[in-house]
Amino acid sequence: MRKYLLRRAAFGLSTLIGVSLIIFVVLRILPGDPLVAMFGLEGFAKLAPDDRARIMEDLGLSDPLPVQYARWMHDITTGSLGRSFFRGEKVSEIILHRGPLSAEIGLLAVLISWLVGLPVGIISAFRPNSLSDNVARSLSILFLAIPGFWLGMLIVLATLFWFNYKTPLVVVHLWQDPWANLQLIVGPAIVLGLGQGAYIARMARSCLLEVIREDYVRTARAKGLKEALVVMRHALPNALLPVITLSGILMGFVLGGSVAVEQAFGVPGLGRALVVAVIERDTIVVQNLVMLYAVIFVFINVAVDLSYAWLDPRIRYR
Amino acid sequence: MSRHADLDRRTFLKRVGAAGAGAVIASRLPAPDPASAQDATVKADPSARRGGTLRFGVHTAPAHFDVHQSGTVANIGAQSPMYDYLIRRDPRDGQTIIPDLAQRWEISPDGKKYTFHLRRGVKFHDGADFTAEDVKATYERIASPPKGVVIPRTPLFSAVTDIVALDPYRIEFRLKEARPRPFMLGAFASGWNIIVRKKTLEDNAGNLRQVMAYPGTGPFRHVSRKDKEIWIMERNPDYWNKGLPYVDRLEVYHMPPFSPELGSALLTGKLDYGRLLDPVSWRKAKETPGMTAAEFPQSVIQAVFINNKKAPLGDPRVRRAMHLALDRHALVDVVRDVAPMLVGGFVYPFHELSTPAAELVSKRLGYQKDTKAAVQEAKRLMAEAGHAGGIKNLTFLVRDAATFKLWSVAIQAMLKETLNIETNLRTVQISQWFEEAAAGNFDLGISAIVSTLMDPSDYFTAWYGKDGPQNYSNWTNPAFHDLASQIEREADDGRRKTMVRQAEEILEKDPPLLPVSYEKIYDAWHNKVRGQNPSTFFGIYDVVRWDTVWVTS
Repeated sequence: MRKYLLRRAAFGLSTLIGVSLIIFVVLRILPGDPLVAMFGLEGFAKLAPDDRARIMEDLGLSDPLPVQYARWMHDITTGSLGRSFFRGEKVSEIILHRGPLSAEIGLLAVLISWLVGLPVGIISAFRPNSLSDNVARSLSILFLAIPGFWLGMLIVLATLFWFNYKTPLVVVHLWQDPWANLQLIVGPAIVLGLGQGAYIARMARSCLLEVIREDYVRTARAKGLKEALVVMRHALPNALLPVITLSGILMGFVLGGSVAVEQAFGVPGLGRALVVAVIERDTIVVQNLVMLYAVIFVFINVAVDLSYAWLDPRIRYR
Repeated sequence: MSRHADLDRRTFLKRVGAAGAGAVIASRLPAPDPASAQDATVKADPSARRGGTLRFGVHTAPAHFDVHQSGTVANIGAQSPMYDYLIRRDPRDGQTIIPDLAQRWEISPDGKKYTFHLRRGVKFHDGADFTAEDVKATYERIASPPKGVVIPRTPLFSAVTDIVALDPYRIEFRLKEARPRPFMLGAFASGWNIIVRKKTLEDNAGNLRQVMAYPGTGPFRHVSRKDKEIWIMERNPDYWNKGLPYVDRLEVYHMPPFSPELGSALLTGKLDYGRLLDPVSWRKAKETPGMTAAEFPQSVIQAVFINNKKAPLGDPRVRRAMHLALDRHALVDVVRDVAPMLVGGFVYPFHELSTPAAELVSKRLGYQKDTKAAVQEAKRLMAEAGHAGGIKNLTFLVRDAATFKLWSVAIQAMLKETLNIETNLRTVQISQWFEEAAAGNFDLGISAIVSTLMDPSDYFTAWYGKDGPQNYSNWTNPAFHDLASQIEREADDGRRKTMVRQAEEILEKDPPLLPVSYEKIYDAWHNKVRGQNPSTFFGIYDVVRWDTVWVTS
């Protein structure tokens, strides 16, 4: 087990190093610099070449790329993560302030995806080609097809025009005001959760359809067990492994999707901070936030691999 | 016999003595209250309601905190309420220049000396006294910024040679040559020129980019700030203008301009006042009972630049033909749901010196709704220039923004249909646009450029001047440059107006760029907000202090 754990951790670390290099290089070769955002159109136009060069130097963007990369890695290892080009705010503070909101959205979205996806998958699998199965499958295809940000905008507009409602405008943490916090996270979480729930439902259906044809399920039924017990005790645990794997992968989609969905809902989470940083060309903030997303994604995947080994004892011996 | 003849020597001496004693006594009496001594200073309205919170939604967060170095409303919108200027635009009309920290001022007859008499008893938010040394430090920084500091308003004070603090409450600006008074006073009243403490500048080596809440003398004081979310300020109880401001707390929300997010926050009552609204939300607010909507012009021109260094675009006939081929009313309509715009020429169409907008639209070729005559003339010019068959393969550099992308496609079609000019669109990110435009890597390029003042002397040099920083077309016209130089120095308003009209004529015949439209600003607010209506404002940079605004509930 330890060997397996070490192998997965080493794989995760090498992935992160690769990701950091890609993020770093891409951000440096992308056209544009932060000076327009800093000085505005008029100020930027009136910047002399010498001033531009000096400011880029002050921002640390004129140093050789290896020096800039080494500085970033040093910031990561010390946990400071550097400061925003613009207002000098610490990236670590941005993450601590906005991160909890995005984490809540991600966790709630996963919870919703399971709460919606699993029952729908079970109903579909145990009554294949019935009306309920057809409705469930149609809905899951619908939610797979609808982009999250579009659904988000529809929800925002609907609540605005029908209920004259808008979520709070600033970050409210769970421990400050749970009700206001829930208003902030529930919309994005539902949109992301329904999208992921559709995947879960389809995967759960196909896995269950496979499992319920197995001999041990037939045996359980022949013993006279109630259908609910057959499903919960015998069929579902064996059908869950691929669903868990899928959930791990989907968590990545939740993270990626949260950027657009937070923007659509106007939720001041990390995703929105990332969008603003990209617009401003705030390289330090962008690279650290993208790296954070990558770390979370790799961590989740390693955790899924480990849970897989825990759920299926055969895996750890391989 | 006259009455003076009745005055004997003794009576005369008694009266002179009494008058002298009176003068001495009067000079020892306390000075009148500074605010009441100045008639034009904004005074508190006794009928205004005091207290409460004003929630204002405007633009995304500033990229840094140095208002002098900034060129965006992101700074002005959030930070202005904490500062004062030397003189200011009256918040009641947005135009009249009235006293602010300078209680009164004098201009020497030759126009080369501006002396400002400063208020006494004004304190910065950190408790320090405001004196002429602070004004001197502020304006010396603006007029000649230290190394590493870039201030877009520096050219406004290019004629200033000395700034002298005559005493703690008098400051004199000495100019090498006279400038038109409206221009100079407009420069002093610019909302960008906030007065900061000399010590603040010294403590921070003249660079305030990362200093969040440096002390001002303004009606509101910093309380707290959450990056990209909100800036909270409270009433300054020691504000020199007694009775102002009315509201106890000001909350400035950072929201993307023209965004549904800003519009929905206002419409649902999460904000009291919204600025830079998108047209859809603004129209909705206008129809909503209990809300008011206003529009006003902004100091931004949207234009297509033409690279004069590339043949055949250096030929004025080709440029004028392209200028006449644009259906500007259609272009304004193309973006009507994205951003509010209005038709205009080479000079701000809403400025007193320019050809009135109504005359422009009704009489001048290129601005009329019926484009037939303009297109006919455009074709004639192209034929005369030897390009009756059109021009092929022009690179059209497009700034990556919704309005420019919509316009570029429409302009591409207009040029193709009317003059058979074929363009290839190349859309690039904003800073790349400016880099490529400055390097001349384009044939046509669409973007927006701004000015601090509406006065032509501010932007004639920057936009159309030889080597002007925003003259991306690389355009030169000696007759225009000579005229612009005269306009910059002409003190007589009537003669200046005539000269500006002459300059317009030159620009029409030899266009440095193709004006597409001028930006408008959409504001809306709930009717509980009183004391402000920006309908007559010019732009969003000069009047953002909220000192005269109150909320009724």
